[in-house]
Amino acid sequence: MLDRKPILRSFLKKREIVRQHIDSYNDFIVHRLQQIVDENKIIVTDVGVDVELGKIRVEPAEVIEADGSHNRITPNEARLRNLSYFSPVHLQMKLNRSDRKGDFEEVKIGMIPTMIKSNICNLYSKDTEELLDIGEDPLDPGGYFIVNGSERVLVTIEDLAPNKIMLEKNERSSKVTEVAKVFSKRGGFRALVNVHRDKDALIGVSFPSIPGDIPIIVLMYALGMGSHQEIINTITDDPLLMDDILINIEEFAHVTDTEKAMEFIGKKVAPGQTKEYRLKRAEDALNRYLLPHIGVIEEDRLKKAHYLGRMVVRILELSAGTREVDDKDHYANKRLALAGDLMEDLFRVAFYNLLRDVKYQLERAVVRGKEPFVKTAVRSDVLTERIRHALATGNWVGGRAGVSQLLDRTNYLSVVSHLRRVVSPLSRSQPHFEARDLHPTQFGRICPSETPEGPNCGLVKNLALVCEFSTGLPEDELEKQLESYGIKKIEKAGGT
Amino acid sequence: MRILPKKIDGIKFGLMSPEYIRKFSVLKIITAETYDEDGYPIEGGLMDKRLGVVDPGLRCGTCNSRVGECPGHFGRIELARPVIHVGYAKRIYKVLKSVCRSCGRIKLPDERIGRYRQEIKTARKIGKNIDSIIEDLFKEAKTPKKCPHCGGEIFEIKFEKPATYLEDGQRLSPADVRERLERINDTDSVVMGFDLDVARPEWMILTVLPVPPVTARPSITLESGERSEDDLTHKLVDIIRINQRLEENIEAGAPQLIIEDLWELLQYHVTTYFNNEVAGVPPARHRSGRPLKTLAQRLKGKEGRFRSNLSGKRVNFSARTVISPDPSISINEVGVPEVIARELTVPEVVTPLNINHMKEIIIEGPYNYPGSNYVERPDGNRISLARVKNLDELLEKVKPGWKVHRHLMNGDVVLFNRQPSLHRMSIMAHEIRVLPYKTFRLNLCVCPPYNADFDGDEMNLHAIQGQEARAEARVLMRVQEQILSPRFGGPIIGGIHDHISGAYLFTMNDTKFTKSQAFQLVYSSGIRKSLPDPLIDENETEYYSGKQLFSLVIPEGLNLSYKAKICRKCDKCLEEDCKYDAYVVIRNGKLLKGVMDEKSFGAFSGELLDRIVKDYSTDDARIFLDSVTKLVINAISRRGFSTGIDDEDLPEEAKERIEEILRNAYKNVRKLIRAFNDNLLEHLPGRSLEETLEMRIMQVLSEARDKTGAIANEYLEKEEKKRRRENSARIMAISGARGSLLNLTQMTACVGQQAVRGERIKRGYAGRTLPHFKVGDIGAEAKGFVKSSYKSGLSPIEFFFHNMGGREGLVDTGVRTSQSGYMQRRLVNALQDLKVEYDNTVRDTRGVIVEFKHGEDGADTSRTDWGNIVDVGKIVRRYADQRGKK
Repeated sequence: MLDRKPILRSFLKKREIVRQHIDSYNDFIVHRLQQIVDENKIIVTDVGVDVELGKIRVEPAEVIEADGSHNRITPNEARLRNLSYFSPVHLQMKLNRSDRKGDFEEVKIGMIPTMIKSNICNLYSKDTEELLDIGEDPLDPGGYFIVNGSERVLVTIEDLAPNKIMLEKNERSSKVTEVAKVFSKRGGFRALVNVHRDKDALIGVSFPSIPGDIPIIVLMYALGMGSHQEIINTITDDPLLMDDILINIEEFAHVTDTEKAMEFIGKKVAPGQTKEYRLKRAEDALNRYLLPHIGVIEEDRLKKAHYLGRMVVRILELSAGTREVDDKDHYANKRLALAGDLMEDLFRVAFYNLLRDVKYQLERAVVRGKEPFVKTAVRSDVLTERIRHALATGNWVGGRAGVSQLLDRTNYLSVVSHLRRVVSPLSRSQPHFEARDLHPTQFGRICPSETPEGPNCGLVKNLALVCEFSTGLPEDELEKQLESYGIKKIEKAGGT
Repeated sequence: MRILPKKIDGIKFGLMSPEYIRKFSVLKIITAETYDEDGYPIEGGLMDKRLGVVDPGLRCGTCNSRVGECPGHFGRIELARPVIHVGYAKRIYKVLKSVCRSCGRIKLPDERIGRYRQEIKTARKIGKNIDSIIEDLFKEAKTPKKCPHCGGEIFEIKFEKPATYLEDGQRLSPADVRERLERINDTDSVVMGFDLDVARPEWMILTVLPVPPVTARPSITLESGERSEDDLTHKLVDIIRINQRLEENIEAGAPQLIIEDLWELLQYHVTTYFNNEVAGVPPARHRSGRPLKTLAQRLKGKEGRFRSNLSGKRVNFSARTVISPDPSISINEVGVPEVIARELTVPEVVTPLNINHMKEIIIEGPYNYPGSNYVERPDGNRISLARVKNLDELLEKVKPGWKVHRHLMNGDVVLFNRQPSLHRMSIMAHEIRVLPYKTFRLNLCVCPPYNADFDGDEMNLHAIQGQEARAEARVLMRVQEQILSPRFGGPIIGGIHDHISGAYLFTMNDTKFTKSQAFQLVYSSGIRKSLPDPLIDENETEYYSGKQLFSLVIPEGLNLSYKAKICRKCDKCLEEDCKYDAYVVIRNGKLLKGVMDEKSFGAFSGELLDRIVKDYSTDDARIFLDSVTKLVINAISRRGFSTGIDDEDLPEEAKERIEEILRNAYKNVRKLIRAFNDNLLEHLPGRSLEETLEMRIMQVLSEARDKTGAIANEYLEKEEKKRRRENSARIMAISGARGSLLNLTQMTACVGQQAVRGERIKRGYAGRTLPHFKVGDIGAEAKGFVKSSYKSGLSPIEFFFHNMGGREGLVDTGVRTSQSGYMQRRLVNALQDLKVEYDNTVRDTRGVIVEFKHGEDGADTSRTDWGNIVDVGKIVRRYADQRGKK
């Protein structure tokens, strides 16, 4: 038989065992930090001062000694002295007053945990000899953090893929309803959009900020569809599915234009308010809470209508029997959140806390008649401690617990296994037999053998030896590529 | 003071009236302060000495006794305004809705009320639950819009959780509510379920709050010297504070709004004092943000008073350690390490007959074995021998009537238990055998009832403290009394593993021993019987057959015949002339034909053992088990027994035949699929075409696997004969010692179809399980058929499918254990106080009959023949056997 060992060996030589965490973290440092900053380009205060945010920069890990001096430290020193292996983060900030604009100055906004062996780790690109010289284990895979001297792993979290239409069938007391669900994710915001067809073929949509359901026809009008014909064109041209659509149109025949539709929605979101306010709230809901991954401005509404159209077709096909429900355990429908993704979630929240604090400090300074300075307004501990606390306790943003765990140092294998662990957020108390099964799509991605016995069986998994990660690619690039094939963007009016 | 022995006849729960609370309390708490600067309790505070004491050295201000003696005394808080007791909020609502707002009568005509009263009376008399009657009354009484008594108009009353009542949109204060409840007359109260001896409707609203004694809420002193108060004290402090403020404001004539706010706040504090998990009320929190553990939380749930302290308790005189096997001790015994024997004690009364021995044991003290740890005076005071300075003085005093708590000694009866205790055989009485080292030792035959193995299992041991309990345990719970299972009426204690394979090899026809071998074997197995005359073989040499030697341990006069485990279920049974020696015949205690295997004395299935227990005695059964296991273990040890990978070797010819069978099976599967595609497949009844196809394919493949197994077995047997050496793996499988022929098949021939939830592997990529197959492939390999054997090794795809099948089992065990634990709890709760009375009825503690005859046949399963009350065939056969010997 063919000896496959050399292949595996050379594979692992190129891709070390915890490359996935390190790559993800590096990406977080290099790209995503800046993206988070760019989500909030400017802090506007109520006192006529605002702060512009510029480039963010991270320095290699260091520690501030008791005498105030800064020292580059090695991970081992952090372990031995019970220190945190953190890197200082600097951000360019510009204080603008109503009368004059300031200049960018670089402010230290806090410290973020440094992943061992990442680009900003002091062990980066050191060879075996050098590592031995400074007392580090040359075989240590890295990929974890050190907080107050304890080694913490950010365990990879497996979750249902966001921005993907998932078809379900709900069978409750002989009533069958077909449901299409999308976890629409934009930045740190997740909104579940739920399109469902009840037993009378009526199709309703539910999404955050709106109580109850909105009929699909109403929603389509509200999103800018001009006529029944346009709605039908947007959904399907399959004559077999047409009946269901017509039933829906008949049911809401009194809604015939965008204005009426908006009024309908307005009554739902803000009952008993003034008309202007109702309309404003309705628009807001459509822009911000309906399918936010497509966009959050008015111009995106038409796109959302088309997207909803797609969801409706799938439901109709499902109820007609020409389509099957989606397999939630199919690994194509799963996304893994690695260390970088988890740090991103945490940093975003901590950073927002910081910005809020900066705003508050500035306002306070101005109200008290003091000269506002960014340097004094930024209390770097706000960011650092929020992150440190989350990492030290494992209580992540969004109420997830156990995200960071103490690295299992029983032996080398347990370390590697821990760093490649994947956990599912499904509760361990419920059976969830299907989710615990070994799914064929896990072949080559998840180890078929290694899973704990007991209540976590099949929910806690480990990466297969040859598992590779793919990451998303920038949307604009993809868009350009598609356009070059002659695909047109959705424009106003006419549909199709 | 002499304590009079009293017997509790019953418990009655009721409400406490304000007067009762006042009478019951030793003081009125007036200040929220607890301690002064010097750390002394403040008079009239929550830690007042009159409420009892928790600090050593102090004396109770009420009863003047010390810590531990004083049970504590209740105090009270006089509430400035009445508040609703949350626990009764719902009942108050029901009552409010049923009575007239002006005259206070139930809004039903007198005759209806009279009817209900009569109903309740009769229900009470026959011991029926009156809840449903009262529910009916509430339902009927809430509807009338006008009071039939005074004609007063009724407004709709609404209840807002947790404790607000609205009448026609107008808020009813607890004081208003109380006033209404006060107006209800006694007869109406009874109809609404109030027992006037212990409850009045208005008592559901608190005007005085009882303050539990400090002993119920002790404060703890941290290492730093700082005092930390109990959660209840914290809550009471809150209540007093608000109560005071409310009182002051009322006196000062503060605006109604402020008073109402404070009143509401008082309501909140009293509510959370009773229950901090009321829906709709934010839980009161400690400074650290931890929710307080108030009264309801103390009782509720797994860590609550009931489940953790009353239904389950920690015990003294118990030990726990790792278990390990010891085939040389009796099944009735348990090996106890000396360190444990020195720690656990048994009280022994000093009598004139044993006084010298007892004194010796006292002299040995707690550190020598056998010694004693305590001496107990007739007045019940215990003297620790570890602390005695003048031993001679003590020995002088010891007289008959004293008790010596002596170390456990050989022969003491103890209870031995392994969790989970799922049936009564999980706790059995053993006799002690003090042994060196630090583990409990137990005979291998008692592993099945405990479900124990030695991969790190631990077990508990309880030393029995009373003569009565000891006698009861010895008679009812001794291991030998538990051989027959009350589950299926056969032995649950019996030979396992090597006992079975050992006996099988030992009793095979060609097992022969020379005289010296036989003597050695029998003697070293502890059998003290004279051997029969030896047999003579074709070479004119004397020998003993295994069957002859085995017969030594069978009780005399036993007659039995049955089919052994190795029986091949031939179409026509030749019985005694069975060529496989699978028909066992025992006449007059002599094993004449057949081999001993799992069916003879194995746990769960031993026929011979079963017969001995039922026809002889449990003593005979114990002796039989002890000696038979020793004998066969000795025999198999001398012979040697091991299995290795070569036990799964098959000749080329066999492999080819297996290959052929699998090829055929594959072909048949393809044929089925073709038939399905061409719509030629015939429906199985009640199945769709797809289901039919699946079932047929499964059937074909499983038959194929079985066939390969049969071939493998056939060749293994052939090889045995050829090499004149038994195949250990096969011996274990056929004799029932360990493993099955299926295991053997999977190792040697073919692992077979992997299934998830009873179906072939079906999930995966679109239209196929794995990308290694074509879309739409539903052939054998593509759906998880593993043609390789474990020995030949699985291909990566087979390995993956096998893991899928394996995962299901893993998940099942993981999920089931937690579920079955809960199920067990519910069953125990439902059935725990049912018992069989002397009149053969099954009743609960109230005397309510559950079954007129236990099990509806009155049979004790363990005395039945494998669950059958009579097995006529068996009786006839036994009679025939008996005749046959004559």
